[in-house]
Amino acid sequence: MKAKRQRTKKEIRQTQEANRTVIVRILVAMVALGVLIFIPLSVRLYQIMVRDHDKYSGMAIDSQTRSQSVSASRGSIYDRNMNVLATSAMVETVFLDPYEIDQEKQDVGVIARGLSEILGVSEEFVRAQAAETNMRYKIIARKVEADEAAEVREFISEKKVTGIHFEEDTQRYYPNGALMAQTVGFVRSDNVGAEGIEAYYDDYLEGTTGKVITTKGNYGSEMLYTYEKTYEASDGYSLVTTLDSTVQYYLQKHIETAIEQYRVLHGAFGIIMDVNSGEVLAMANYGNFDPNNFLEIYEETASEELQKQYDEMERLDHSSLEYEAAKKEYEAAVVAARLAQWRNRCISDGYEPGSTFKTVTLAAALEEGVITLNDTFFCGGTAEIWGREDPLECWNHVGHGLETTAQALQNSCNIAFADIGIRLGGEKFYKYALSFGLTEMTGIDLPGEAAGVFFDKSYLTEYESYGYSSLTSASFGQTFKVTPIQLVRAISAIVNGGYLMEPHVVSRVMDQNGNVVEDIQPSYVRQVISKETSAIMRNLIISVVEEGTGKNAKVVGYTIGGKTGTSEKIDEFNEWGGRVDDKIVSFAGIAFDENDEAKYICLVALDTPGPGQYISGGVMAAPTVGDIFMDVLPYLGLNPNYTEDEIGLINFTMPNCKGMNLKDASEILAEKNLTYRVIGGGEKVTGQIPAAGSPVPGNSEVSLYMDADVPTGNIAVPDFHGLTVEQAKARAAYAGLYLQSRGTTSSSGSVSVSSQDIEPGTEVARGTTITVKFTDSSALD
Amino acid sequence: MDLERQNGSAARQEPVQEVSSGVLDVPFLVLTLLLTAIGLVIMFSASYARAYADKQNSTYFFVRQAIFAVGGIVVMLVITRFDYHLWRSVAFPILAVSILFLLLVLIAGKTINGSTRWFELFGISFQPSEIAKFAIIVVFATMISSYKEKMKTFRYGVVPFAAILGGIVALLALEPHLSGIIIIGAVGALMMFYGGTQLRWFLIGAAAAGLFLLIYLKVNPYAMQRITYWQDPFQDASDNGYQAIQSLYAIGSGGFFGLGLGRSRQKYLYLPEESNDYVFSILCEELGYVGAMLVILLFVLLIIRGFWLAMHARDRFGALMIAGLITLMALQVFFNIGVVTGFLPPTGISLPFFSQGGTALMLNLFEMGVVLQVSRKNGTSLMI
Repeated sequence: MKAKRQRTKKEIRQTQEANRTVIVRILVAMVALGVLIFIPLSVRLYQIMVRDHDKYSGMAIDSQTRSQSVSASRGSIYDRNMNVLATSAMVETVFLDPYEIDQEKQDVGVIARGLSEILGVSEEFVRAQAAETNMRYKIIARKVEADEAAEVREFISEKKVTGIHFEEDTQRYYPNGALMAQTVGFVRSDNVGAEGIEAYYDDYLEGTTGKVITTKGNYGSEMLYTYEKTYEASDGYSLVTTLDSTVQYYLQKHIETAIEQYRVLHGAFGIIMDVNSGEVLAMANYGNFDPNNFLEIYEETASEELQKQYDEMERLDHSSLEYEAAKKEYEAAVVAARLAQWRNRCISDGYEPGSTFKTVTLAAALEEGVITLNDTFFCGGTAEIWGREDPLECWNHVGHGLETTAQALQNSCNIAFADIGIRLGGEKFYKYALSFGLTEMTGIDLPGEAAGVFFDKSYLTEYESYGYSSLTSASFGQTFKVTPIQLVRAISAIVNGGYLMEPHVVSRVMDQNGNVVEDIQPSYVRQVISKETSAIMRNLIISVVEEGTGKNAKVVGYTIGGKTGTSEKIDEFNEWGGRVDDKIVSFAGIAFDENDEAKYICLVALDTPGPGQYISGGVMAAPTVGDIFMDVLPYLGLNPNYTEDEIGLINFTMPNCKGMNLKDASEILAEKNLTYRVIGGGEKVTGQIPAAGSPVPGNSEVSLYMDADVPTGNIAVPDFHGLTVEQAKARAAYAGLYLQSRGTTSSSGSVSVSSQDIEPGTEVARGTTITVKFTDSSALD
Repeated sequence: MDLERQNGSAARQEPVQEVSSGVLDVPFLVLTLLLTAIGLVIMFSASYARAYADKQNSTYFFVRQAIFAVGGIVVMLVITRFDYHLWRSVAFPILAVSILFLLLVLIAGKTINGSTRWFELFGISFQPSEIAKFAIIVVFATMISSYKEKMKTFRYGVVPFAAILGGIVALLALEPHLSGIIIIGAVGALMMFYGGTQLRWFLIGAAAAGLFLLIYLKVNPYAMQRITYWQDPFQDASDNGYQAIQSLYAIGSGGFFGLGLGRSRQKYLYLPEESNDYVFSILCEELGYVGAMLVILLFVLLIIRGFWLAMHARDRFGALMIAGLITLMALQVFFNIGVVTGFLPPTGISLPFFSQGGTALMLNLFEMGVVLQVSRKNGTSLMI
C-alpha cells in the first residue's frame, strides 16, 4: 500500500512534470503561432498596401482600365482675311481588344466580315489583329469618318459582339490645296505639325489631348462597379496669319506661267512682303505639293523618274540581293523627293543673290558717303582687279562707258560696283553685311530657317592675302549666299526708311471662341541706313524700272522700283566635276503707293531657265513681278495713278450708245476717255463698234453708226509676236482691232511683243481688244 | 487533482449531464461566429463577378457557402453537447477511415491540375487530406495522453508518431499534395512538441523534412518553377507570375482604408481563385490595411484564446485536442496570407472561414466546435 502510494506519488509527480511540459510548450505555441508569425505578415501587408500602394494601384489601374485619348481639336489657320488655310475635322480610330472578343463563339469571323465590309480592310488583317489575344489595342483603321464609324457602331449593337472600340482622332484639311503648301505646312498622321506654320506653332495649335478612363473587365466581363473619368481635352489655339490667299494665288499663277514660258528646270520661289511691317503676304515654292496628300510626289519629272526606278526595281527577282538594294535606293529616292517638295527654299536655302544685292552695296556706300550721286564710273567691258586671276568682265562686253551712280545701278554694271565696293572697303562692307542681317537668321516664325553662307571677315579685309577679289565679287552679289527672306528683308530696309524688320507670318493667336490670346506686332530689329539714304535709294531703285534693266516690271498706273539679278551657282558641280551651268534669274520689285511710299516687295527667282534663250532676270523675272503687281496691287487697295500718257494703257468699258443722239453719245464717250468717228448720217446712233460692255483702251476711237450698216463678220487675230510698239499698233488698226499694251512701252527698237492674250488665228468680233505684252530684250542682266 | 483518473475514465465516472453542464467559452464562440460572418460577407463580394460569369447568378457561391455556414454552426453547437472524450475512443477508427479515403482518392478521386485530391460524393466535394488533418490531431492527442512521461523516450515519443505521420505523408505525396504534407507534417510535429517529445528529435525531423522537400522539388520540376516565379513574378507576368501579380495588384490597391466593401476591381476575373485561396487579397483591396489588420487581429485573438483554453483544459487530451486544432488553424491562416502576399511560395492553402468551399467551412466550424466542446469542461487548469 505504501509502495503503491509511493509509486503513485512518483507517477503523479512525473505526470505533473509531463503536464507542465505540455503547458509550457503550448504557451510557447501561443506566443509563436498567436503573435510571432503574424508580425512578418503584417509588415509584408504594410509594405504592399501602404508603402507601395501607389505603385501597385497604378499598375492595377493600368491593367483594369482602358485609357482612351480624346483628341483636342487642333486650331485652324486663317489667312489675313479669315479664309481658312488649315482646319481639322473629327474622325475616329477603330481598334480591337482581342482579349475581350469571345473567341469561342466565332465572333472573330463575324467581326472580320463586318469590319472588312464597312471599313474596306481585309478580313485576314482583322483576323490577324484579333488573334493577338494577349494584346488589348490592335488598330483596325485610322481616320475613320463619322458615317463609317456610325455604321460600325450599328454593326456592334446588331451583332452583339464585344471587343470593338473607338478612339477619337482628327483629320487635317487644307482647303486651298497646294496654295502656300510649304508655308502652312502639314501635320503627320499623328496630328503633329511636320512642316511650316503647323510645325512652328504646333504647341499653340495642338491643344491638350484629353483622356477618358473606363474600367474594363477581364475576359470581357464588365465591372459592376464601373467608373469613368474624363480629362477634358482643351482645344488648340487658332492662328491668323499675315498671308493672303488672293495674293498667294497671283504669285503662284505668274510663277507657274514663268516656269512654263521660260522652261525653268529647277523650280522657282517667290516672296511678297510688306516692307514696313515685315508681314509676309505670300511665299511660293516650286516644286510644289498638296498638303492634303503630302506623301505624293507632285513634280512631274521627279515622279516619272521615281516610277521608272520603281518599274526597274520590280523587274528584279524579289528574293535577290539586287532587289533589296534597289528597293532601298528607291525608298531613299522617294524620301529625298518628298523632302525636296516640302522644302521652303524661301527661308531654308541660300542662293547667290547676284545683282539684286547691288542695292545693298550702293546703300552702304551712299550711307557711308564714300560715293555720291554725282560720282561717275567708267566701264570698259573688262577690268583688272587686284587679287583676281582673270579680268572682271561686265555682262555688257562692250562696256557701259562713263556712268553716273544712278546709271551704274540702272545698267547693273559689275565693273562700277566693283569700284564702289573698293571705295567702301572690306571693313565697312562687312559691317553693313552684318547690320543688314546677312549673317543671321531673320527670325521669321517658320521652322527650318537657315542663315545663308557669308564670307569670313578676313576674305574681305585682308587685302594682302586676297586682294580685292572677294570684296569686288561680293559687291555685285556673287560668291556668297543669302536666303531669299534675308535678301527681301535687307532690300525692304533700304526702301522703308532704313528699318530692318523681323519678317513674320502669324499676326494673331485666338482661342477656340475667337478671343484674342496674343497679337504679334511688327518687330523692328535695328536701323541700318538713314532715312535720307533710304529716300535716295528709293529713287534709284525706281529709276532701274523706269530707265534701266528693270523696265519689264513696269505696271501701268503704279510706281514700281526694283533690281534685276542673274547669278551663277559657283559651288554646284555636275557629275563630271565641272561647274553646273545653272543660273538663277531674279527680280526684287518694290511697289509704291501714290505718295511714293514703299509698300510691298516681291522677289521672284527662277532657278535655271532652259537653254536656247537669253537668260536674264530683267527679261524673265522682272516681267513676272510686273504681272504679279498688276494683279495684286489693286487688290491690296493701292490706287492707280495714271498719267495723261497712260490713259491709253487702261481699258474702259464701252458704253451703249444705241438710240442716243450724237451729243449724248459724245458726252458719255468723253467720260470714258474715248473718241469717236461717225458713219452714216442719221439722227440717232443705230450701231456701234465695239459692242457695249467690251473693254476698249483709253484714247481709242470708236465707231458710231447712224442709220448705217454695221459691218459684220469676224476677224482672225493676227500674230503680233516680235512686233515693235509701232508695228503692233499698225497691225491692229489694219485688222480692225484695238490693241492694249502691257509691259514696257518705250518705243526703243529692243522692245517687242513677247506674248498676246488671244492666240493668232482666233476668230473674234470686229473691234475686240487684243492685249499684248512688250518686253525689252535689251534689259540683259 | 488526480489527472490520471480523470483522463482515463471521465466518461465513466462523471455523468454526462455534469460534463455538458459547463458553459462553453463565450469569447471563443463570439470570435468564431464573427470570423464566419465576416468571411461569408467577403466571400460573397469576392465571388460575385465569377458567379455571374460562370453561373449567371451572382449569389450562387454565396448561397451555397451560407447554407454550409449555417449547417457548420449547427454542427459546431451540437457537438458541444457531447463529451469530447468520445474522440479518444474513435481516434484510431477515424485514422483508419482517413487512410482509407487517402487510398481511395488515388483510385477514384478527381484530378485537377495533375493532382488527385478531391472526392465527390453526392455533389459535395471534399479533400480526404482535411479528414487526415483532424485524424492526426485526434490520434496524436490520444497517444500522447496515454504515453504521458514516456513521451521523452524515442520508442514512445518518436517512433509511433513518425510512423503514422510518414504513412500519411507518403499517401499525400502520391496525390501529390505538397500543401497538405506541409500542414499535416507541421501539425503532427507540433503535436509531438506539445506532448513532450525531446527537442533533439525535432532537429533530426527538421533535417528529414528538409531532405524530403529537396527531393520533392527535384522530382517535381513544376514545384521548383513555382519557387522561381515566386521570387520574381514579373518575369512572366502573363502566365506563371500572373496570379501572384494580380494578387499584389489587389492587395496594393487597397491602401490604408481600401476601395470599400464590394468595390474590388480585381475580382472582375482578373485575380484567379479570388474567392478561394486568394479571398484575402480581395479583402485587402476592399477593406484596406485597416480591415486586413482587423481580420488578422480577430484571428490572433481566436488563436490566443484557443491556446489559453488549451492551457486551461481539464485534462491532457483536451489540452492537446485544442492545441492541435488551433495550431492547424493558425498554420492555415499563416500559410494562406503568406502566399497571397508573396511572403511564401505559392501553394494551395485556403483561409479558414473566408475561402469559398462549403465542406472546408463546415469542417472549420466543426473543429471550432470541438474546441468549444473541450472548453465546456474547463474551469480548472492543468497547472493546478
